[in-house]
Formats: sequence, structure tokens, C-alpha cells
Amino acid sequence: MCAYYRNNAYEEDPDYPDYSGAQNHTRGYVKTRDYPDSPGPLNNSNYPSTRSNPYSVGSRSSDYPQSLAEPDYIGSQSNPFHPGSSREPGYPASQQNPDFADSRGGGHYASSRTNPDYLGPFGEPDYPGAQGNSNHPGPRSHSNYPGSRRNPEHAGSRINPYIDTLGEPDYPGAENHFKSLNFFEEPDYPGAEDYQNSPDIWGAPDYPGAENDRDYGSSENPVLSRTSSIQPSFHRGDDDPLGILGREDGDYPESIEMNSMEMANPYGHPVPGAPGNGYVNPAYVGDDSPGQAYGDPLLSGCDWLKSPQGQKLIASLIPMTSRDRIKAIRNQPRTMEEKRNLRKMVDREKSKQPRGVLDFHCCAQGLSSIALAYRRAKSSLSELLSSISLWQKTLKVIGGKFGTSVLSYFNFLRWLLKFNIFSFVVTFSFIIIPQLTVAEKNNLQFTGLEFLTGAGYFSDTVMYYGFYTNSTIRHGNGGASYDMQLAYIFTVGVCLVICFFSLLFSMARYFRNNFINPHIYSRGIAKLIFCWDFTVTHQSAVKLKQKNLSTEIRENLSEIRQENIKLTLNQQLARFCAHLAAWVVSTGVAVACCVAVYYLAENNSKFLENHREPGAVLLLPFVVSCINLAVPRLYSMFRLVERYEMPRHEVYILLIRNIFLKISIIGILCYYWLNIVALAGEECWETLIGQEIYRLLLMDFVFSLADSFLGEFLRRIIGMRLITSLGLQEFDIARNVLELIYAQTLVWIGTFFCPLLPLIQMITLFIMFYVKNISLMMNFQPPSKAWRAAQMVTFFILLLFFPSFTGVLCTLAITIWRLKPSADCGPFRGLPVFIQSIYSWIDTLSKRPSYLWVVWIYRNLIGSVHFFFILTLIVLIITYLYWQITEGRKIMIRLLHEQIINEGKDKMFLIEKLIKLQDMEKRANPERRDVEQLGPLHVREHDAAPDLRFRRSVQEDNPKV
Amino acid sequence: MGNKHTVFTHEQLEAYQDCTFFTRKEIMRLYYRYQDLAPQLVPLDYTSCPDVKVPYELIGTMPELKDNPFRQRIAQVFSEDGDGHMTLDNFLDMFSVMSEMAPRDLKAYYAFKIYDFNNDDYICAWDLEQTVTKLTRGELNAEEVSLVCEKVLDEADGDHDGRLSLEDFQNMILRAPDFLR
Repeated sequence: MCAYYRNNAYEEDPDYPDYSGAQNHTRGYVKTRDYPDSPGPLNNSNYPSTRSNPYSVGSRSSDYPQSLAEPDYIGSQSNPFHPGSSREPGYPASQQNPDFADSRGGGHYASSRTNPDYLGPFGEPDYPGAQGNSNHPGPRSHSNYPGSRRNPEHAGSRINPYIDTLGEPDYPGAENHFKSLNFFEEPDYPGAEDYQNSPDIWGAPDYPGAENDRDYGSSENPVLSRTSSIQPSFHRGDDDPLGILGREDGDYPESIEMNSMEMANPYGHPVPGAPGNGYVNPAYVGDDSPGQAYGDPLLSGCDWLKSPQGQKLIASLIPMTSRDRIKAIRNQPRTMEEKRNLRKMVDREKSKQPRGVLDFHCCAQGLSSIALAYRRAKSSLSELLSSISLWQKTLKVIGGKFGTSVLSYFNFLRWLLKFNIFSFVVTFSFIIIPQLTVAEKNNLQFTGLEFLTGAGYFSDTVMYYGFYTNSTIRHGNGGASYDMQLAYIFTVGVCLVICFFSLLFSMARYFRNNFINPHIYSRGIAKLIFCWDFTVTHQSAVKLKQKNLSTEIRENLSEIRQENIKLTLNQQLARFCAHLAAWVVSTGVAVACCVAVYYLAENNSKFLENHREPGAVLLLPFVVSCINLAVPRLYSMFRLVERYEMPRHEVYILLIRNIFLKISIIGILCYYWLNIVALAGEECWETLIGQEIYRLLLMDFVFSLADSFLGEFLRRIIGMRLITSLGLQEFDIARNVLELIYAQTLVWIGTFFCPLLPLIQMITLFIMFYVKNISLMMNFQPPSKAWRAAQMVTFFILLLFFPSFTGVLCTLAITIWRLKPSADCGPFRGLPVFIQSIYSWIDTLSKRPSYLWVVWIYRNLIGSVHFFFILTLIVLIITYLYWQITEGRKIMIRLLHEQIINEGKDKMFLIEKLIKLQDMEKRANPERRDVEQLGPLHVREHDAAPDLRFRRSVQEDNPKV
Repeated sequence: MGNKHTVFTHEQLEAYQDCTFFTRKEIMRLYYRYQDLAPQLVPLDYTSCPDVKVPYELIGTMPELKDNPFRQRIAQVFSEDGDGHMTLDNFLDMFSVMSEMAPRDLKAYYAFKIYDFNNDDYICAWDLEQTVTKLTRGELNAEEVSLVCEKVLDEADGDHDGRLSLEDFQNMILRAPDFLR
């Protein structure tokens, strides 16, 4: 609690200038110049006596007179002397009074300052507490200021520190900065009563605490000498006591900052006059450190707002738009109160600006009110959006229990879902709705098996390509016409192009964020330690994570220890052989699967002729899904043989093998569809392909469901009951993500043949989310290895982009440019190739003069080889340039890193030197020891601590309390 | 709407909105959670900015913090005076920084504070030992802990001064995007 109060005391400092405190300080300093005849030594000699005299006792309670007196100051505000007496407490230098007796360099200074000023308040007749207050030599009372905070009788009441703000409302001039404090301000101050009742306390003739000042005030000379540098700035205050108060406030605490910083600096040491005691200033030590707990290392409280940095920040915030400003304020690592003050100050500054032009005033006001309304509307909108954001809570729970790595799978799933929703909205609105308006009656029988096979009833619905008309849809006479052919090809094209760009951009964003400086990767123990997942909140999950972390750290350590032990040639050979064998086997399995699928597909038509029952078409999808289910598990077992050192390598290798398998199966199927089905002369082959894809997708979904409900469940039963050594399984992120990628690839290919496929994928993803979620909660334990979730997501998206999406583009390009559409169904019936629809459209357009620009764009940009040649060349050149820039930056980074290391060495060297100097000093001046005894704790501490910053020490309070 | 205004003034809510990453509704929700922690302590009317603190003993029982090995440090870092007792402002601050909307830089700053056990603005070997002990619940022996600390300093200490400054820490965090998600 002590720290808390002291901190507040410190924070209040800037207030004093608010009510014209600035002038007073100036006065204090200026006086030293104005009254050069004020005999410093004389004062010093007075001090010891003051200590024993009754005033000094009162000085302890310097707050009281202040709190009492302030209401009276209203009238006397113009009287610069008067506040001076009470304002100065905030001033650190004022703490030195007891030392003046020791007549250190600054002693004259401060003491000289005291006499003339404080005569002023004495003269004030209307002072209730004047006797008590004015008689105190100012500095005395100030010195006690922090001390009084620690008085037992005040510590109890929380409002004490704020008492000083009591009178503030009466000072109009002070409003600017006083605002910043009104958080503390309370409508009524119960504490005020305490103060009023307290005369007996400060009236007590002998206050033991008064002596304490001596203890910690031992020598603040460095501070003093430094504070003198503030003089100029306060001098200004004299010229215009009220007008530029705001600016004065800025100066004042700033100077304090300077002090505290300098005190923290090495400078303190070499000053011979001060035997390292510059640090002793309890006000600083005490006040600074609590600030450190949340604020800038050096600045604390709201002072930083007025510090150079704070001012700079405010200045930089003012020209920003309100959105950027709020963002910047939010991102400040400050306490709420400071942020609020910052916001207020910036707003005030901002409102000041347009005042110059009166004409625009009301206009600006209107604008600002509009801006405010807009902002409110936007925030409520974002509220609405966040409330409908899907699965927010479920994702939180998953993250809390399983950490970010598993969460990344679900995020990826959600991302894909959004993708599909978008595709569905596009296809639905531009293809399906127009088609539905001219739909013919479907006279096929619905049996229910269609859900599995996708054939039968469904083949004559909007689901498949074959159902769409090739005519121009026109409702009523003279209504707008809608060319289905063009709509179909453009919708699918636009859909793919948008997918392409959104994939590209999200991939680029992930790369930028997650692969900064990948070349300096090291072993990563630091990462292990600092990557505690703060999202994990579940108790058992936390315990498990802690356990996993310690095993992982141990593994890592053993690796480090083993690093020196080189593997023997035999071992290396064995490992190499194992890897080679694993690769050969895995590739062989993949190739075998592909061959099997190919022959199966080829013979499928014959098989279907022999077996007429509708379920027969499910054979191919069944086999493919079986392969997809079994082979990845086989691959996972290779880890027993291969024994990769890094778990990450293992995951990447596994991913590569799996993606190779899945993509080659899809490739084989595509080949089969495009080269066999499409050329076989079947009626409406596009619909057949669509059905095939639908079946594959559905079968995959069914297998996933079965796997989740049966496989994983059984595995849990086995792990828990039968073979307990297996334990619970871990969620295999790589395999699950690859399943998603596989399904998405199918959807993209199928969108052309089956425009409703995104809807189906939407539904399956939606169900999958819940199924996986339930299965995860029931059957799995959190992963034991630290996963690079962010990089894995990047990798997933890369995989989704590179083999998957580009493969889809190739397939569709071949379809559209090479293949002949079926003659009797679909929007492109009768055309030689699909793309012919575009050609004929361009031809029609070229006959209409108003559309010539479209034709020009088509001929010169899209249809021209030269354009693409030049474009490619430009892109290559830009890529090369960026490559070079990156190389240069790498060199730069290396140099800068070396420089940082050198700076660090310099720092260490200087610190050593300083410590040596300090030691020498002490040996040279043993008599200083006596002085140091006054504040022994601080000195000792600083001798002990090589770092030059302050440490918070609770002991500092002890001598005073 | 009516209910909100009895707790906060419009300006207060706006200020909270601007200073945190939360929407109005979330702020109210957080307020009620704060209020629930100590119903007899926290008033239902915040328009006059009462100076109320909820002691750490109650803050630490929140499900978000209950099992976090760093809960005490978190509370200390965000509390005004470093003792873990929190005002509503501190409370909102804490949740704002911990929310997923907060940028990594901000999180890194506070993470640094959390790991800096002795508040000396550097993560020194002692701080690291504390961290490791907390993370592993004392499962590693002293030698292992010191080895880990040594390795960490080795890896992350950019200027080789034997301790991690905020810059070192941020640099390391930048390289590892998985931190502080």
C-alpha cells in the first residue's frame, strides 16, 4: 500500500503547477537570483533549530494546511507567493532541507529559495491554518510530503493522496491539467474531515517523525544542481502566470523526469560531491518503482504524458484520423487512466485547433458530431458482427483446453467455411436463381438413395451442369435478357479469380507475419520457455502442458548435450538407409494406389454395365476413401523407423508424403474424367463428372464421420482400458488438415460441373466442426510437442494454394479450352469448345460500337500473347529486384546485429569502469561514510547492484515509518 | 440501454471503448464479472469513479487466471501498485491486453513485464529461473534449470550483456509468431 500512495503523491506533482504552481517554483528559483543577498549559510544554520521547533512538527503534516487552505486560495491565486508555500511539496529538491545543515553545494540554493517566498504566505491574514502553515519553512514541509503519506494515520484512508485536488475546481486556470486527475476526484472527501480534525496532530509540539527527514534526505545535491537547469523554463511562467499554465505543466514534470532519469544514470556516480547518494531520494525511488510495474521503465504515473515522449506522442496523435488515433491509444502499453488522460488531452488539443477559423466553427462542430455518430454506429455494428461471429465461444473452449495448435485446425476449417459460403452466394445468385426461374418440371423418381449416389433424381436439378439451359432467359416482353451461357462461365471464372486472389493475399500475409527472419532460427529453448500459451485455461490442460513442457525442455537439453557426440559412420548410414527406405516405400505405396485407382476407374464403366443397381457407382469413391483413410496412417507409422531429431521435420515429411498421395489420386481421377469420360461420347458427361465428384466428397465426409465416431472412439477405449500404455491419442493436425484440403480441392474442381457443390461443402464443414469438436473433447489429449501453429497454418494455406488450387486451375483450363461440351445438355450444348461462348460473345460485341472497348481489352490484353509475355517479363524483373533488395537487407541485418553486440560490449565496459571509479572514490573519502550512514540502505544497494537503474526496495520505507 | 447508464456515464463508456479493445457490451460484461468477484465491495454505480479495489485473492479465482502459472505475476503487472489488487480500470486493462484483438507488440510488452519478476526492466538469469520453475512446476532439477537459463540467454541476448532487455525480448517474439496468441 505504501507504494501505492507514494505513487500517487508523485502523480500529483504535475497538479501543483496546475494551479499556478509553476510560477511558484520559478519564484523559488528566480528568487535565488533576485535575492542574491539571502545568506544561505545563515539559513542552513537555522535548519537544525527548525527541526526541533514546533513548526517542524507541523511540517510533517504539510498536507493539512494545504487541504484547508486551498479553498481560500481562490482569491489569492494571483498571489504567486502563497501557493508556493504549499505547492512546493511536490518538488523533489525540497526534500533536502535537512541536508543543508551539511552544507552541500546545493544547500545554499535551496535554502535561499526558502526565505523570501515563505514570507508571503505568512502575511495572508485570512488563512485558517496560516499559523501552522506559514510558519513552516517551506522546504521543511515539502520534505515531509512523501513522508506524510506514510503516516500511519493517513495510510488508512485512501483518499488522502487526493486531498490536494480538493480545491482544484476553484481554479479555473488549472482546469486543463486538473482534468487528468478527476478520476481521483470524488464529490465529497471524507478524508477532508480527517484533515480538519487533525490540527491537534500537527500542532503537537514534538513529532518524532520529523527527525526522519534527516535520514533519507541525506544528500540530494546532484538533484539540486540539476533542477537548477529548469530555471529557464519556469522563468517563462513568471511572465504569464495563468495563460500558459498548460505549457508550464509540461515543463515541470518533464524536469522531474530529467532528474529521476539522470539520477538513474551513471552520472550520479562520478560526481565527487555526492557519494553516490543521488539515488537516495526516497521520493524518486519510491515513486519510480511502482510506476515500473506498469509504465515506462523510466517514467511513471501521468508524468509520462508531459514528458518529451508523452508530448511527442500527443503531437503525433493529433493529426491522425479518429480511427487511427483510437487504435494508437489502445495500443499504448499504459494503464487505463493514462490512456484516458491521453485521449482527453488529445481531444482537447484537437478541439482547440479549428477554433482559429470561426466561420468553419459550426461546420466543424456538425462534422465532428457526424463523425461521432458514425463512430457510434460503427462500434455498434462491430458489436453486432462479433455477436454473430461463428463459434467464437467453442473456439475459446478448444483453445483453452488444447492450445493454439489444435485451434489452428478449427480456424482453418472456419476459414474454408467462409470461403465456401462466399462461393455459394456467388453461384447461387448468378447461376442458380436465374435457372430456377425457368426450371422445368422434374419427373424423375426420388428414392432417397440419391443422397448417397448423387444420381437419379438429382441429375435433373440445378445441382448439375446438365440441367442448365443454353438459352437466353427473358421474362416478359422487353425485359432484360440474361444469357445463361455467359453467366455460367463468368460466374465460375469470377469465383475462381476471387478465390485465387484471396488465397494469394492471405498466404502473403501469413508469410510476412510468420516468416520474418527465418534464417536466424536457433534451437528454440527460449521459445519453449516464453511461449506459454496464455489461452490455455483448463486446469488439467495446464498441468499436462507443464508436464509436456518439462519433458520437451529435457529432450532439448539432452539434444544439446549430445550435440558434441557425433554419430558414427555406421549410425549415419543406418539412418540414411532408413530414410531412403521410408521414402521408397511411401512413394511406392502412393504410386500403387494411383495405379489401382486408375484401373478401377477405367474398368468402372464396364463394371457398371454389368451391375445395374444404383449403389454400384459407389465402388470407386469407396475405394478412394479407403485409401485416404488407411495410407496416411501407414505413413504415420514410419516415424518408428525414421526417428527424426526434430518433430517439425517429421511433421513436414509426413505432410509432403500425404499431400503427394492425395494430389496424385485426384490427378489420376482428373485424367480419367477428362481423357476417358469426356471423350467416351457419353450423354452429358459433365453431369457424370459432377456426380462422381459429389460421391467422392460425400464418401469422404461419411468416412470422416465414421472415423471420428468409431475409429477415434475405439482408439480411446483401447488406449484407456485395454492397452493402457498407449494412453490417449493426440489430435493429428496434419492429417486432419490434409483431409480438409483434399475436400476443398474436389469442391473447386466440381464447382464447374456441379454448381451446388459449395453448398454441400458448407453443410459438411458445418457438421464436421461439431463432430470434430465433440470427438476432440472426448477422445483426445492436448499435443505433447510444442507446435509452430502459426507457421503450420501458413504451410497449410501454401499447400492449399500450390498443388491444390493451381491444379484445379489447370484442370478447369483444360476443360474449358480443349474439351467439347456434350451435345444435348448444359448451357454450352452444341459448341465445339466451352471457350467458344466467349469468342462468339466478343464477336457480337464487336458489332456494337458502344462496346468496342470491351473488345479492345479482350483482343489486346486477355487474348494477346504479347501482353502476357510483357507482363511476365515485368513480373520477373520486379521479383528479381525484390530478391536483390532482400539480399541487401539480410546483409544489413547482419551488420546491425553485430553493431548491437558491440554496443552491448561498450555498455558492459562502461559499467565496469563506473563501478571501479565509485569504489575508488569511496576509498579516497572515508569520511563520507558518516554521511552515508544516514541513508545506508540506498547506498549499499547501489553499490551492490551493477545495473544503474533503480530497483524497488521496500526497505526504503522502513527508516521513515 | 437504460441499465448501462446507471453504471457508467456515456462518456465513461466511450472512454473505455476507446482505451480498450472491447465493445460496449463486452465492457459491461466484464464489469459484471468484476462486480461478481466482490459484490459487496464493488458498487453498482460507477459514475462517480469510486476508488475500489478487488483483492488479488479474489482476482486469482477467476477461471481465466485460476490455473495460469503466472496468475500472480499477471495480476501484479496490471495492478496499479504491483500488489495484485485491481481496480476496474486495471481489470479492463488486463482483459484488453489479453484479448485476441490486442496487437502482438502490446502483448510482448506485457509478457516481458510478466516474466520480469524483479521489476528491474531486464529479464535476468534469476527471472528466467523463476519462469522455468513456474512453467515446469519444479520438475527440472537445479542443474537443468540453470542450463536452460544459460541457453535462453545465449539464444536471445542480442547485445550479450547477460540479460534480456525489452528489445531482445521483442526481437525474439517477432521471430516466433506462435507466442502470445
